[in-house]
Amino acid sequence: MEHLRAMGVVLLKEVTDNVRDRRAMLLALVYPLMAPLLIGVLINMFSGISGGADDDAEKAKPALAVYGGDRAPALIAFLQGRGYSILPVTGDPKEMVRTGKADNIIAVSKNFHEKYDAKQPAEVFVLLDSSRLRGLSALKRSMTLLGDFNREIGQKRLVEAGVDPALAAPLTVSSVNISESTNITDFFLYMIPPFIIFTIFMGGIYLAVDSTSGERERGSLEPLLINPVERWALMMGKFAAALLFTALAVFIHLLAFKGAFFWAAGTESSFYRALSPTVMISLFFVALPLMFFAVGVQVIIATLTRSYKEAQTYLGLMPLVPALPGLILVFSPLKAQSWMMAIPIFAQTVVFGDLVRGDVSSALDIALSMVITLGFASVLALIAAWFYEREQVIFGG
Amino acid sequence: MIEAHDLHKKFGVVTALDGVGFHAPDGAVTGLIGPNGAGKTTALRILYAIMRPDRGSASVDGFDTVTARRQVQHRIGVLPDARGLYPRLTGREHIRYFGRLHGLEVGALERRIDELAEILAMGEFIDRRAKGLSKGQTLKVALARALVHDPHNVMLDEPTNGLDIASSRAVRDLIRHMRDQGRCILFCSHIMQEVAAISDRLVIVSRGRVAAQGTPDELRRRTGQQDLEEVFLAITAADSPLREGAA
Repeated sequence: MEHLRAMGVVLLKEVTDNVRDRRAMLLALVYPLMAPLLIGVLINMFSGISGGADDDAEKAKPALAVYGGDRAPALIAFLQGRGYSILPVTGDPKEMVRTGKADNIIAVSKNFHEKYDAKQPAEVFVLLDSSRLRGLSALKRSMTLLGDFNREIGQKRLVEAGVDPALAAPLTVSSVNISESTNITDFFLYMIPPFIIFTIFMGGIYLAVDSTSGERERGSLEPLLINPVERWALMMGKFAAALLFTALAVFIHLLAFKGAFFWAAGTESSFYRALSPTVMISLFFVALPLMFFAVGVQVIIATLTRSYKEAQTYLGLMPLVPALPGLILVFSPLKAQSWMMAIPIFAQTVVFGDLVRGDVSSALDIALSMVITLGFASVLALIAAWFYEREQVIFGG
Repeated sequence: MIEAHDLHKKFGVVTALDGVGFHAPDGAVTGLIGPNGAGKTTALRILYAIMRPDRGSASVDGFDTVTARRQVQHRIGVLPDARGLYPRLTGREHIRYFGRLHGLEVGALERRIDELAEILAMGEFIDRRAKGLSKGQTLKVALARALVHDPHNVMLDEPTNGLDIASSRAVRDLIRHMRDQGRCILFCSHIMQEVAAISDRLVIVSRGRVAAQGTPDELRRRTGQQDLEEVFLAITAADSPLREGAA
């Protein structure tokens, strides 16, 4: 009871102290917004690309920019027949593409009319700027349409010449998408787990360093240790403060993802639906034992290093390393299995992945990941407490 | 009362304490004096129970600093050499933090803070953040923090270091006042005049040992010197590396 009270006193002091610190608040409140913002922007950009590729009937079809369309009435009629409106280009078509006024332009060659009427290959150019992503999807659309026109007219001419058009088509090629998700941008959902891991290891880092190596360097650790309080209780007070900041950062991170998805893709998107309140609460609770674990590592490193700067060097690397497995899994998602639950960080990465995909892991696996990670975290806390008991704690090392 | 018996402490190959023993009685100011690196800070750290001696023992009011650490720490108020304030907390918050860690009850704690603010003449700066405080103001906050639980034994490391004349005098007056209340004051410095001005007893530490102890008059008689600075030099010179080199 007495120890708990002392822990509470330290917790309150550390929170008061760090709320007044711009850098601590930046890490806890602003950094967690960055990744969701970035992903939001990416989704916004990519949805233009992939949306154009399928051209659903319900979706409004974009206007096609055509230069010299008056020389190719048959082509224009074909495109209009497919439901596209035509945007005649009058200026310099290359300049328009270069400046981004058009994603790409179908340019009809000067002698198109004569060649076409003479049933010779007539030239059509598709102008694009390959450094623009939107240009690539527009290119795909233009090429598909021109290919269709080519085939249709070609078959008509073969029939007129008395040849079976099937002879000119040795292959019938169609691609079959076996993905359950309808959109390539779902890929971005898989980036949520590594980002959450990153935030777990980042959110409380400043407080952990400041309240341990920082306290030692300021010379305030020695007066603090003179108080008639068990050292482990002092340490746990700081631990709890760092945990609180970490939890706050993760909470803000999840809300920011939800907000970014809403902004970038709307409430009907698979993103917005994937992060339902239930999923968000589950993510948070699955993350809790790992937050405990992360703070344990941070406090141990901050206790052992001699200075603030040294601690920051090691801890700066830390958020990145645990996020690595998750970054790899972005490209080859893995279904959670029980043995994985025994490995902290990895366990959470796969469970997060299952949760955001809506591919719910078994409750037993989730419980297993939480219990085992909490076990590891408790060992770390014990080690940190042991380090605090040593008299070297006032010098570091 | 503070007692040290035959304290030994090594850090790697460096011997910091090599058999330090002395006592500081109640109702007196005991000055611990010695050149830089003599082992004063290490001895104090053992006395305020954040370090253990390799050999020997220390006690405060009869409580052993190793086996009864928390009882010892309840009975001492310490002003360490590094004042160690938190830049973003106000003076009042510093005092309150330590008061709470000592388990003081809220009402009594707030009354005690007001009392200390008056004794130490802490003006409005008690509610300013420590970052902008002057040396004298910083010292007053650290001192108030050390005394918040009204300790019977007080250990002060270089308490007037860097203070102006008026502030130094105020600190000396406070030390005398606490002594007259019957408290045990152990006071550590490397400035002889300062120690001479206020100490009832002197403990001279040199190269990890107690070179001499007694009242200033006893030490004057023993060395045959009138000026305490000469007394100090006469006593520590026996251990000085220069003397060794010359011999």
